[in-house]
Amino acid sequence: MASEVNTDFLHNKKLDSIAADILRPVGITQGFVVWMGFLGVSLLGCIYAYYIQFDKGLIVTGLRDYISWGMYIANFVFFVATSLVGMLISSILGLIGFKWVKPIARIAEIIAVAFAAIAGLVIVSDMGRPERLPYVFMYGRIQSPIIWDVTVVTTYMVISALLYFLPLIPDLAISKGRIGHTPKWLQSTYEILSVNWQHTPQQYKILLKAMRILLILIIPTAFAIHTVTSWLFAVTLRPGWDSTIFGPYFLTGAFVAGSAAVVIVMYFVRTNYKLEKYLTHHHFDMMGKLLVLVSIIYLYFNINEYLLPAFKMKTAEAVHIHDLFVGEYAFMFWCVQLLGLIIPIILLLFKVFRKPFSMLVISIFVLVAAWFKRYLIVVPTQDHPFLPKQFVPDAWMVYHPTVIETAITVGTLLLVIIIITILVKLFPVIPIWEMAEEQTGNDESPQD
Amino acid sequence: MIKRYLSLLIIVLISLHLSAQEWVVPAENGARLSPFAFSDSTRKAGAELYNTNCKSCHGDPGKNNVIKLVPPPPDPASAKMQSNPDGALHFKIAEGKTPMPSFKNILSSVNIWQIISYIRSFNDKYVQKTQTKPGGSGAAGENAKIKIAWLKETHQVQTFISATKEKVIQPVAGTEVKLFVKRYFGNLPIDEARNTDAEGKALFSFPKDLPGDSAGFVQLIVKLSDEAAFGEVKADTTLAIALPTYRPPLNEKRAMWNVVQKAPIWLLLAYTFSVLAAWGFIIYVFLQIRVIYRAGIRKDQ
Repeated sequence: MASEVNTDFLHNKKLDSIAADILRPVGITQGFVVWMGFLGVSLLGCIYAYYIQFDKGLIVTGLRDYISWGMYIANFVFFVATSLVGMLISSILGLIGFKWVKPIARIAEIIAVAFAAIAGLVIVSDMGRPERLPYVFMYGRIQSPIIWDVTVVTTYMVISALLYFLPLIPDLAISKGRIGHTPKWLQSTYEILSVNWQHTPQQYKILLKAMRILLILIIPTAFAIHTVTSWLFAVTLRPGWDSTIFGPYFLTGAFVAGSAAVVIVMYFVRTNYKLEKYLTHHHFDMMGKLLVLVSIIYLYFNINEYLLPAFKMKTAEAVHIHDLFVGEYAFMFWCVQLLGLIIPIILLLFKVFRKPFSMLVISIFVLVAAWFKRYLIVVPTQDHPFLPKQFVPDAWMVYHPTVIETAITVGTLLLVIIIITILVKLFPVIPIWEMAEEQTGNDESPQD
Repeated sequence: MIKRYLSLLIIVLISLHLSAQEWVVPAENGARLSPFAFSDSTRKAGAELYNTNCKSCHGDPGKNNVIKLVPPPPDPASAKMQSNPDGALHFKIAEGKTPMPSFKNILSSVNIWQIISYIRSFNDKYVQKTQTKPGGSGAAGENAKIKIAWLKETHQVQTFISATKEKVIQPVAGTEVKLFVKRYFGNLPIDEARNTDAEGKALFSFPKDLPGDSAGFVQLIVKLSDEAAFGEVKADTTLAIALPTYRPPLNEKRAMWNVVQKAPIWLLLAYTFSVLAAWGFIIYVFLQIRVIYRAGIRKDQ
């Protein structure tokens, strides 16, 4: 990232055309109302499911003594994982100096904010007595990875929100006079959030410094958030979790899920908002290459994680490995590995599959597989405790998520989609000033 | 070799057979009766004792949720249990027979009678017979008292038993006395049971290596065996006569698994430093947003 901003772009006529393109879809449209209405009504059903759980307790879920971490915790790991892409794209790729990430960076941050914000709620959904949440802070032990997790998730969410907000400030100032077609309250929101932005060199200097601090700070925070999430499992001795590579294994898996999520949002933004000029085939091509890179790294970690225990076949590990490879979870396991990892890697190696639509389809497979992958990490291990299950009710022996549990999980996903929709629809989704500055700088039209 | 295995097998089979056999109670013990009448207060005390000492195996009376053992412990409400006379129940609880543990050093005789009174509350047909007081027979005396003395030179515990006989306090000769030391779980018998001499005294040699608390204190308990004559007579005292032993509590030192106040220093430092560093920068960025805001106002003017 440049340490100074050439404010010449403010007087360039290109700014007007870029701003007009990007701001055209902003506002409350009929499609937005219908979509939000649909999400809202569906969410109400899920909130009712949560009301039942709140009233009756976790007995309405499939969770019992042996498998006490089920769909909720798998969902939590998935959310934390997906949110990590904000750090990968804006921070790592941005700091290295890849220019193509500029129009995508904000989408990545939106995904980071939405998933990180709801991840905390997902944890609350797994609590039988959610009103005791303050006890975590009152009586928590800092020796417990759960406290570390609460700390880093909160920190990561705040940094991601700031990394979304800071580059948005100049855009809000630019947009102020250009969104006459939107409701008054939205215009006032822009006015307040633009914190008196006047495009002075001093303001740009402060902004760039603040962003630079955050872009560096978010790297250790993001590493911490997902490493700690993996430690929730890896600090135990249980087969499938007792692994020294769980930290990097989770981290690389996170980049796979996050990149796929970014591609999906990119596709819908591009087609719905007619932003083909800004989210070009080149961007999809680069995202495809990124996705194939992180997937290959993740595949490598998968091979490591499953092949070594499968080679040694220690008693307890063997039961777990058999369950995954040929047993109860085999179908899910091989679908996840093939459809969510191996086939996407093979396809994405060819340029023809790195086009927007095929990227969308592949990314949906990757993202759905990523969710089930977390389920496979969380649930099967608990199926085989070291002491045999005996003299317990049949309901404790196996775990089947109930309808209520599924509805609550769907509800958390709906919340994420609602946050993404609001941020994508009511605010400029592509950084106007950065695009204008770039085009003024080298005066090249965007590649297509 | 095969012969040896065969004989082993036969021994095992016989012992299994024996253990499954009827539990024989000596006639004298079976005929014993409670010294007091069962009442609501004895049943209540019995219920509490039952829940702490018996329930883990015998379950809730009448619900037949006993633990799975061979032979199975009978449910207290069952006919098998209730068909025992009071004295037989007392004997069985006191003595035990594998897998049933012996409670005579854990529970007092009165406690055992209280438990029996609770057990009998599950039997509608039960009519209690109480013991007729032996008091006034003249032989033993009433209001027996125990005094405990420590003989430092010989490392012995001396007990002195006296009782009121014909309105005069007199030493009790020839009665059995037992000495115990209180431990975490139950009472540890010390030395053999002794009979008092003509002066009412009995001597117990006390081990030199018995661990006490950090100052060497132990609680001594002295009991008279002849409950039929004296009722339950017991005295206890705490003396610094054992080996001073300091066992640091397991949670004394800082450890990963300890409470937060005893978290490892390195962890406290690492956690605090990381949180302060990250949030220091975050607060700095918030302040920078304020600077941007102020700079905008200046530009306006």
